[in-house]
Amino acid sequence: MVSTGSGNAVSTAHDGERYVEGARVIEHMPASLNAVPPSRYYLWLMAPALIVLAAISIYPFFWLIWMSLQNVGAGPEVEFVGLKNFIKLWSDDKFWMGWILLFKYSFFCMFFEITIGVFLAVVLNGHRFENILITIFLMPMMMAPAIAGLVWYYLFNSTFGWYHWLFQSLGILGETSIIGSTETAMAGIVMVDIWQWTPLITLITLAGMKRVPRDQLEANMVDGASAIRNFIAITLPNIYPFLLIAIMLRFMDNFRFIDVIMRLTGGGPAEVTKVLPVYLFDVSFVYFKLGRGSAIALTLLIVTIIFGKLLVKVFESPASKRIDQGN
Amino acid sequence: MASVTITNVWKYYGKTVAVKDLNITCNDGEFVSVLGPSGCGKSSTLRMLAGLEHISAGDIHFGDTRVNDLEPKDRDIAMVFENYALYPHKTVYENMANPLRLRGESEDLIKKRIAFAAEMLEIEHLLQRKPMELSGGQKQRTAIGRAIVREPKLFLFDEPIAHLDAKLRARMRGELKLMQRRLGTTMIYVTHDQLEAMSMADRIAVMHNGVLQQFGTPQDIYNHPVNEWVAGFVGEPPMNFIDCDIVDEGGKLHAVHSSFKVALTEGHAKLLNGALRDKSVRMGIRPDQISISVGSGSGVDGRIKLTEPLGGDTLVNVDLKGADQVLVKTNPDFSGAMDQACTLTFDTSRWHFFSKETGVAYF
Repeated sequence: MVSTGSGNAVSTAHDGERYVEGARVIEHMPASLNAVPPSRYYLWLMAPALIVLAAISIYPFFWLIWMSLQNVGAGPEVEFVGLKNFIKLWSDDKFWMGWILLFKYSFFCMFFEITIGVFLAVVLNGHRFENILITIFLMPMMMAPAIAGLVWYYLFNSTFGWYHWLFQSLGILGETSIIGSTETAMAGIVMVDIWQWTPLITLITLAGMKRVPRDQLEANMVDGASAIRNFIAITLPNIYPFLLIAIMLRFMDNFRFIDVIMRLTGGGPAEVTKVLPVYLFDVSFVYFKLGRGSAIALTLLIVTIIFGKLLVKVFESPASKRIDQGN
Repeated sequence: MASVTITNVWKYYGKTVAVKDLNITCNDGEFVSVLGPSGCGKSSTLRMLAGLEHISAGDIHFGDTRVNDLEPKDRDIAMVFENYALYPHKTVYENMANPLRLRGESEDLIKKRIAFAAEMLEIEHLLQRKPMELSGGQKQRTAIGRAIVREPKLFLFDEPIAHLDAKLRARMRGELKLMQRRLGTTMIYVTHDQLEAMSMADRIAVMHNGVLQQFGTPQDIYNHPVNEWVAGFVGEPPMNFIDCDIVDEGGKLHAVHSSFKVALTEGHAKLLNGALRDKSVRMGIRPDQISISVGSGSGVDGRIKLTEPLGGDTLVNVDLKGADQVLVKTNPDFSGAMDQACTLTFDTSRWHFFSKETGVAYF
């Protein structure tokens, strides 16, 4: 079958095989391909998980859509109203204010959490006590948000709150508690969120920083980069995908976690902290207008999905795949 | 261009000593290779030269400038890394432009320098590609190009061709040597491959366990190794070592082993000082310094254990009396079979004797 090799440069007709410059040319296909297991097999394996998911997630989702088209109160009577719930939202000032406050709240939380979180990660990365320090920093994150709200409620208390005393001594605050004043209440709830969730950003960024190729950092240093330029040119592009994950997680959390706000201000004073999810809670479970609440929830869900999709799209763009293009 | 002077340099990692009291002087425009097995301190040395590692003790000068406390960016060096270290999101052109951009050079100059380097390295057609679209050899050329465009005082190469396949490596050896001659820039080249060091460098610094063993020309290191370790590390296939006794017979010194008694040349006998007589030494001889013939005759008796024809040469493993074994490199038409008796002749003008205790060479 194989060429004898000794000066057999010319093609031999043996078994119809052809040789070009001594190398065998193969033109035929394999006799048959090995079977690929049918995908049905995997579907059966996933069936239990799919059923559970349908029961706890897909069914309530369609129920929510159905409810948003009804007038549902606390009582048993239900009335189909079509899109009336949504149309009413259009002229609802509190609904629009809720959106504005929600974006304001999310923006400030995210801005400070990412700035402080990345800074901490840079300081901690490779530090002698990195492991101990990150464990200590992570503690706020482990606390139930409702408990965190309670703790900060006391810290902010204008009579005995330690933070209130501190801020007052520094001349930043007067007699009113930070969460009691319309000017500072938003800052108060943002502070708690920063305190609780900055460690998450630090943790994710640190994980990313472990993947920054050391030789690229060194090559850039030898090329002539200062520490800051090196961070911008090499570290940042490499931790960028990790930051996107962090932003996505925090953004979705900010849209649904209202434990701290409920505990601290309940939306007040004068509704300056009534972000949309808090307003949604009020409409649904204080006024028991469940149909209207469902309509608000649905808009919140759609916006969350759109933003999430946008972030995923950025995440999947070539620019964010830099870490996978390693040498 | 600059000379490099390494004076009494030590490198500690915690309590581990990586480099011990290193002294190397490298002339302006010289190609110096730092050779040694992994963990010998050669990379630490290079990284200290680059400014990527703190110098625990001692001084490094480029020309007359002490560089110990200079940042890498202020040392005017260019380094090529073992794993290329290209910036994956930049094209080949941008990768090569990076060091010039960071120094604020004009676009005209950048273009000119890259054109020059790309032509020399034959990568002109790759300039718009990203590193992930390049083969290993092309990545390596890009990394070298990035070093060339700087026109630095000093090139530092850290095993730059270790990851290429054997054929490409052989080609790159020649090209790198030509490139360095053409540019005339001082080059320090770290490698664990003695073939690379031997074929390219003007001078080789052989390191072992953080200690500089020998610093000299390739011929010097090959022909006059200062100790047993250098003799064994440099040369492929490696040198044979046989323990034998020095015996004075009729006023002439002989190396005596259970399977041979070979007289030393006059010159060598003089080099072995008198106190050494009737003492045991370690003899070293390279496989190509032994000739072999089939059948018994006047010479060193042996028995063929194994032959390895390599095409151009044939390697023969020969059992001597006692437990010793020697490897002989001979011509391809050697026709000995396994278990056949054979006779070896040593080239006594080129063998080496080492102290059994310290490993230091007598000659």
